Amino acid sequence: MEELNCETMFTLPVVGGISESVVVTWIIMAVLVLLSIILTRNLRVENPGKVQLVLEAGISWAQNFFEGILGKESRRYSPYLITVLLYLAAANTLAPLFGFKPPTKDLNVTAALAIMSMCLIEFSGIRKNGVKHWVKHFAQPIPVVAPITVLEIVIRPLSLCMRLFGNMLAGFVVLELLKFFVPLIVPIPVSFYFDIFDGLLQAYVFVFLTALFMTEEME
Amino acid sequence: MISIDLNLVWTIINLVVLYLLLRHFLIGPVMNIMEQRKQMIDDGFKNAEAAQADADRLKQEYETALSGAKQESVQLIENARKSAKAEYDRIINEAGEKAGTMIESAKENVRIEREQTMKELKSQIAGLAAASAAKIIGGNADDKESRDLYDQFLKEAGEGDGNADK
Repeated sequence: MEELNCETMFTLPVVGGISESVVVTWIIMAVLVLLSIILTRNLRVENPGKVQLVLEAGISWAQNFFEGILGKESRRYSPYLITVLLYLAAANTLAPLFGFKPPTKDLNVTAALAIMSMCLIEFSGIRKNGVKHWVKHFAQPIPVVAPITVLEIVIRPLSLCMRLFGNMLAGFVVLELLKFFVPLIVPIPVSFYFDIFDGLLQAYVFVFLTALFMTEEME
Repeated sequence: MISIDLNLVWTIINLVVLYLLLRHFLIGPVMNIMEQRKQMIDDGFKNAEAAQADADRLKQEYETALSGAKQESVQLIENARKSAKAEYDRIINEAGEKAGTMIESAKENVRIEREQTMKELKSQIAGLAAASAAKIIGGNADDKESRDLYDQFLKEAGEGDGNADK
């Protein structure tokens, strides 16, 4: 099952091997940035075009979604969460549909996302309530639980990372096996489920849980 | 398959770069536009409210002015009526007075004329009587003496006549 492996695409002299997922991420980045440049070319305040309306509806939906979870005063975090949402949606759905291996199938990518989420969660808590409160809140409601709450710092992003990685890998494996045994027609609905539905669902769950943990931390 | 290596770092860098790029190219502009539109709509509402308040204020002013004008016009008409009435009364009185004096003077004139005529008549009748008496007597009587006599006679007759007239 060589499809399961993340091959090293090429090796740079100093930094070492660059894996497939990083290259696909670059492609996704390029596509997203190019798309956003093209779509936001002539934005107008009055008489917006159809494209602009769709764009605004999408962005404002995401903005309201994160604002609803995080609260109005934490709207500065929503651009990052929107970015992650877009990246994950593109990586989970577009990459497999266009024949790439989804980068989220690589543990390195999900771990990177989880580490950034962890940083963001702790940072938002510290920024909102100060270092003192952040240190103290481990001992709540009673000091006995302190070891567990400290572990939580790692457990939460780890669960995020593993959930995403496991879902995408499992979907990918199921689809590859199906393609191997029944190469005709049958993979189409299964691909719709695993690539589009599950992919979007996992992207949603990832940012939703990140936002939820941030709110928890900001209490 | 499950291995963590340097690619994790590249992915983090990728994500940060993607975040900055998207914030600059996608989220920033779209949010900016929406913010501007919101601002515009708010301004529009504010302007409309101000215009409404202005219109209300003007209407109030006009109404006050209008009721003032109405009162003023009523006052004016009243004044005009009063002065017209006064003028009318004055003219009527004047006319009455004038007519009174005119009638009075006419009466006076008539009276004076009648007196004058009477006097003339008296002297003429006296002359006539004297002449006829002279003719009857024969014309040798003293003129002056006889005239006095006739005057006396006439006076008596006139008095009797006057009494009968009255």
